[in-house]
Amino acid sequence: MKKELNFEINILPVLDILSVMICFLLLTAVWIQLGSLDVRQAIGDNSASGAKNPPALWATINTDNSVQISLRDIGQKMNLEYRVAASRQGIDWDALNMRLQNLKSQLPDLKTAIIRPEARANYGDVIKMMDQLKQTQISDIGLSPLGT
Amino acid sequence: MKQSALNQTQRFSPITQTQILRNGGESPKAGAKKDLAPILSLTSLIDAFSIIVIYLLIGTQSGGMETDIPSRINLPTAEASSIIEEKTSIVRIEKGRYFIDEQQVSASQLGRKLYELKKASGKEDLPLLVQGDREMNYADLDPILKAGAEAGIQKLKFAVVPNK
Repeated sequence: MKKELNFEINILPVLDILSVMICFLLLTAVWIQLGSLDVRQAIGDNSASGAKNPPALWATINTDNSVQISLRDIGQKMNLEYRVAASRQGIDWDALNMRLQNLKSQLPDLKTAIIRPEARANYGDVIKMMDQLKQTQISDIGLSPLGT
Repeated sequence: MKQSALNQTQRFSPITQTQILRNGGESPKAGAKKDLAPILSLTSLIDAFSIIVIYLLIGTQSGGMETDIPSRINLPTAEASSIIEEKTSIVRIEKGRYFIDEQQVSASQLGRKLYELKKASGKEDLPLLVQGDREMNYADLDPILKAGAEAGIQKLKFAVVPNK
């Protein structure tokens, strides 16, 4: 008797496996879109001699989670200093945001900020500070290295 | 008479069998069978699969840069973030250890390595993507700032998870 050589391919199990694989991939994939917060660091001596510095906000993040804000080159004789006390959870973000909004409404030309965290300041807090400043339309942000 | 494999498959395929509804519950042997409606169409299934595959391909290509982030790093979140459009070199900080494009570099060598990177790229305005855990101290980031200034890198991009 001649042996049958032809055979049929069963497609249904293949389709089953494919659908299970697609479901598995969909469930296990981590869909995180990465974003970035951009800063432009000053290197060397960028300032031209005699050039007028733009108004700048200096924010110091202390280890006790308080934030010291000082305004420089704002056209007044004295620099303005503010202190945002820490809350129980850490930095008082609501009070800081309110303070920044107030300052921005008083000084619309304020577009530059320097963040000066202390060595033990939390990196997440530094990023959140940058985020708050960017949300307040202060776009030119720099980070100050330690010991400066 | 010889029959081709295609004919055999067409005759005995389970898909063909399931595509046929028989009239009035008649058994296949009871008489002439009548096709009522196709139940399972292979073409529509392939269509659906192609749509899913195309959807997944488009969904994963957001136009931004694709990066691998180790699961042990929890990136900080930010609302005012921007999309990373161009491919940039990555500096990762993991518990006081530094990696430039997946290559471990000691803190003292950072400045020299970044300078070489900038020189090799030929770009005057080379950006650097910094990935760090949100729980680390600022002191861990400080060597990168100093090394970047040493190498003449002005543009730093801090990797965040957009929180919108």
